[in-house]
Amino acid sequence: MAGRLGVTASRVLSLAGVVALIGVLPWLSGRSPELSVLRARSAEQEATPEALAAIRADLGLDDGPLALLRSWLGGLVRGDLGTSWVSGTPVGPGVGAALGVSLTLMAFALLVAVLTTTLLCLPALRRAVRGEPGRPSGVGGAALTALPEFLLASVLLVVGAVWLGWFPPYGWDGPSSAVLPALAMGLPAGGLVGRLLADALTAASSERWVLSWQVAGATRAQVARALVRRALPSLTTQVALVLVGLTGGAVAAEQVFAVPGLGRSTLGAAESQDLPALQAGMLALLGISAVFGIAASALRVALLGRAVRTGTVPVADPVRTWRGRDRVLPGVCAALLAGTVAAGLGRDPVTSAHARLAPPSWALPFGADASGRDLLARVAHGALDTVGTAVLVTAASLLVGLLVGLLPRASVGPVEVANAAPPVIVGVLVAAVAGSSLTGAAVAVLLVGWAPVAAHVAAVGTEVRASAYVRVLPVLGVGPLAVTWRHVVPTLLGPVTRNAVLRLPGIALALAALGFLGLGPTPPSPEWGLLLAEGMPYVERAPWTVLAPTGALVLTAVLAVSLSVWSRRPAQPAGTSTTSNVRVGATNSS
Amino acid sequence: MNAVLTAREAVPSTTVTPVLQARGLRRTHPLPRRRPWAPAGRLTALDGVDLALAPGEQLGVVGSSGSGKSTLLRLLLALDAPDAGTVHCGDRAVSPGPARRLRWFRRQVQYVPQDPASTLDPRMTVGALVAEPLRALGVPGDHRTAVATALERVRLDAGLASRRPGELSGGQAQRVALARALAPAPTVLLADEPVSGLDLAVRAQVVELLAELGRDRGLALLLVSHDLSVVSRLCSRTLVLDAGRVVEDRPTDQLLATPRHPAARALVEAVPHLPA
Amino acid sequence: MIPVVDAEVTPALQVSGLTLSVAGTRLLHGVDLTVPAGSRVALIGASGSGKSLTAGAVLGRLPAGAVATGAVRVAGDDVLGVPAARRTARTRVAAIAQDPLAALNPLVPVGAQLATPLRHRGGLRGAALRTRAAQLLTDVGLTDPDRVLRSVAGELSGGQRQRVCTAIALASAAGLLVADEPTTALDLVTQAQVVRLLHAHTADSALLFITHDVAVAATLCDRFVVLEAGRVVEDGPTAELVAAPASAHLRELVDAARAVA
Repeated sequence: MAGRLGVTASRVLSLAGVVALIGVLPWLSGRSPELSVLRARSAEQEATPEALAAIRADLGLDDGPLALLRSWLGGLVRGDLGTSWVSGTPVGPGVGAALGVSLTLMAFALLVAVLTTTLLCLPALRRAVRGEPGRPSGVGGAALTALPEFLLASVLLVVGAVWLGWFPPYGWDGPSSAVLPALAMGLPAGGLVGRLLADALTAASSERWVLSWQVAGATRAQVARALVRRALPSLTTQVALVLVGLTGGAVAAEQVFAVPGLGRSTLGAAESQDLPALQAGMLALLGISAVFGIAASALRVALLGRAVRTGTVPVADPVRTWRGRDRVLPGVCAALLAGTVAAGLGRDPVTSAHARLAPPSWALPFGADASGRDLLARVAHGALDTVGTAVLVTAASLLVGLLVGLLPRASVGPVEVANAAPPVIVGVLVAAVAGSSLTGAAVAVLLVGWAPVAAHVAAVGTEVRASAYVRVLPVLGVGPLAVTWRHVVPTLLGPVTRNAVLRLPGIALALAALGFLGLGPTPPSPEWGLLLAEGMPYVERAPWTVLAPTGALVLTAVLAVSLSVWSRRPAQPAGTSTTSNVRVGATNSS
Repeated sequence: MNAVLTAREAVPSTTVTPVLQARGLRRTHPLPRRRPWAPAGRLTALDGVDLALAPGEQLGVVGSSGSGKSTLLRLLLALDAPDAGTVHCGDRAVSPGPARRLRWFRRQVQYVPQDPASTLDPRMTVGALVAEPLRALGVPGDHRTAVATALERVRLDAGLASRRPGELSGGQAQRVALARALAPAPTVLLADEPVSGLDLAVRAQVVELLAELGRDRGLALLLVSHDLSVVSRLCSRTLVLDAGRVVEDRPTDQLLATPRHPAARALVEAVPHLPA
Repeated sequence: MIPVVDAEVTPALQVSGLTLSVAGTRLLHGVDLTVPAGSRVALIGASGSGKSLTAGAVLGRLPAGAVATGAVRVAGDDVLGVPAARRTARTRVAAIAQDPLAALNPLVPVGAQLATPLRHRGGLRGAALRTRAAQLLTDVGLTDPDRVLRSVAGELSGGQRQRVCTAIALASAAGLLVADEPTTALDLVTQAQVVRLLHAHTADSALLFITHDVAVAATLCDRFVVLEAGRVVEDGPTAELVAAPASAHLRELVDAARAVA
């Protein structure tokens, strides 16, 4: 009972913490919002100290965080979301309209995701009920569906709207404008879930009960239903992450396609320092995430039925036959990336030494950007920014995840909250508080990046503690501290580190997504996401401006996916397999 | 209860203080609730168990699964507290508590778990595994010598100390687990199904080794098993558990010849025999 | 029992010249073995002798990447390499596994899993089905059949799961039952109970009993087939083989069994 109370307390405290954080955003903001408000209200007024002080007093910024929180919460209870600092009108109606657009978009995206998942799973299910040997899902095809939303949205915009002209490139009028953004959000989500579900189905089909059901005369339909129901619960964690990722994906897709949804308006509010609008948008986005998370847990409970109480449902362990070509793909991607970096590091990424938008040539292999800068040099130097930061973030998230994961009960709440907050939304929050910078983006990614590591540590730790060689220790006289530090930690360090390292490309993509949305480093930094964003306006005249960063990001995405397959291989020491809690970076990156 | 009283007469009363003694042990476990609001029922796992192990004595505890054997072991090892009753080691009472407070007890009473090979940490060397209780219990002196002695007592080559469990044969791994229990030089060994699940050949070796330890080293042995054939090879006295109660407590040969309680009879008859 | 392979009576199982290699390593070297209809045969060997691989070939569960040659005839049809899903009702082989955890679907209550064979094989419905299910569970020594029927695998102990699997296998009424070390997880009293049950229920079908325990095998089976390093080293009636084991391997096993018992 004490355990369950602890878990509940941890959840309630974490949730309260997040709401309080949003409530005191204006006070936290280190970017003196009164100046932005002054500029927004009247262009002529002089920014005298007196004028600024008057605005501060007017906004209640000097009353301290508690008063601010109290008045904000009070307004919330009355249904008053506050008044926009920029337009001076109530925030509520605007958020409501944007919420409607975003929810419609998410519904379309979910439809795309469900269709993709079904298409990817059908072959595996058919093989399973026919008793044919299962094949691990192909890495190459899956990698295409696991591109981050911001990248896929850009590619779809170029192909579907600009080149083919089938769909409107931006705006929100009628179902046709929902197609491309829904594809950008739904394809990666469905691709990931479909691939995992196909593997889980293959694994479940090799369990012995399938044989005894067949011998007992169960029909193929019966076996197929049982297989799906058996495979799904082990995926609900991923399904929850993917659903939550949709809210982050919405920000990127709405931004690219100029859809007037919640994500775009929140992003806009963060840029213009309109904190009441930002608070309302954040609250709505996190609320949607929370609803998705709760829905996934409810789904899990419903699927497990009686078995949920015993808590001993063995996760279907995907049995993989490791093929040579699974090693080739990540190898090729890593080699291409390394080659690009090696070729471009010696070149100058900052000086505008070439013709504007110069096409690729021998001297300029990737062409030049709109300012006449060498794109090869920029991609190479950007790799250092993006990947170097990702290495630091990975190391930090490993450390935090390890320490927090060793306290499984207390960490439940923070882990759930971090999992329910996509990096992009946290990025908006951090940018609102501290301004856009590479450090800010790194902090934002770290704020959510430690959670999967902690969940993994908790899962492996529970497994190790349940093993016979740890359970015997108390009888031998080993105390609880020694059990943890001499036996549990050394055993889980290997698999957990490996798992964290395999997340590196995913973290790099998350950083790039923030850069793309203007929440990361500022120009002239050659960070990849920023490079892509800078190239987008010239995509028709000079496609190479987009091609160079896109190529690098696609390679990273493929690397992330092919490595994530690797991380799901059974770990070497018996009883420390890493199956269930692997969070694949690519889909959560935006 | 009658069976207990009649059975007790057959045991020669000793004036020696038992090395391990349990009086009136009772333990219940909560049953899972049908519905969250339903009152939690309790399952009685042990119901008034008395037991005394004299120095150097070999005592068997047999019963089928669910008879309360594992619960009894946990109470005797101070891993769990009884609802009622006491456990004494010598004259000192034993109850669960911090590792440090129980050091004296763990040095006296060691444990050989079921499937001992699986209780060896695959990362550690044999030497480190056998030294682990010495380190944890703060046993003074040179641990390396103690490890070598322990390995010798289970007839393992001292050169094995640098190997890891993955490199050992099944029989060797069993002996390493036994050596680990012997390293702090205990006076009592509690063994939980030490041979079930083993190949018959390995089983015979382990039984022989346990018999020798009792005979030559004066180690008291409490052997818990569902298999009367193993108990009969090792223990002079056997106690039969059924539904949490002691239903027989007699010299093993008498028990085998004339089991009185139905549970004891079932256990005797269940031992498979090869046709002559 | 004399192993006459009559042209009129098709044996329940006939394995001939079965070889099996995994990743280039040959693990079975031409295994021959016959289980006549209505008989119980023990396949005896130490761990690693190839017993479980032979069972896998019979059941249609070969390990990934295995290459098998020879023939496995169930009820006269060669089914080597044919997975259970693509076999006919006649050539599907019921199985009781050593590891009982994955042998039950962890999400489906025992009652529903036991109902499948009773409905499809036994043609039972409604109350008759429920009565038979509870009866089967009582037969395998489960004292509280109603609670077990409502439970899922995770709520049962290892021994209980093993007995539920036995009940499902028996309810499947297949012509051949392969039991791979079915009693290692059980205590001796339950083991005796399950052995008696297997004895009673295989009177009109056939049983291949895989074990390393010659004492249990001797109480249940008419014939012994002894496997060592992927080869059959001995094959004959139980009484003869136990009285005078010809191979060193069987002699060791018999001696060890006599030493412990």
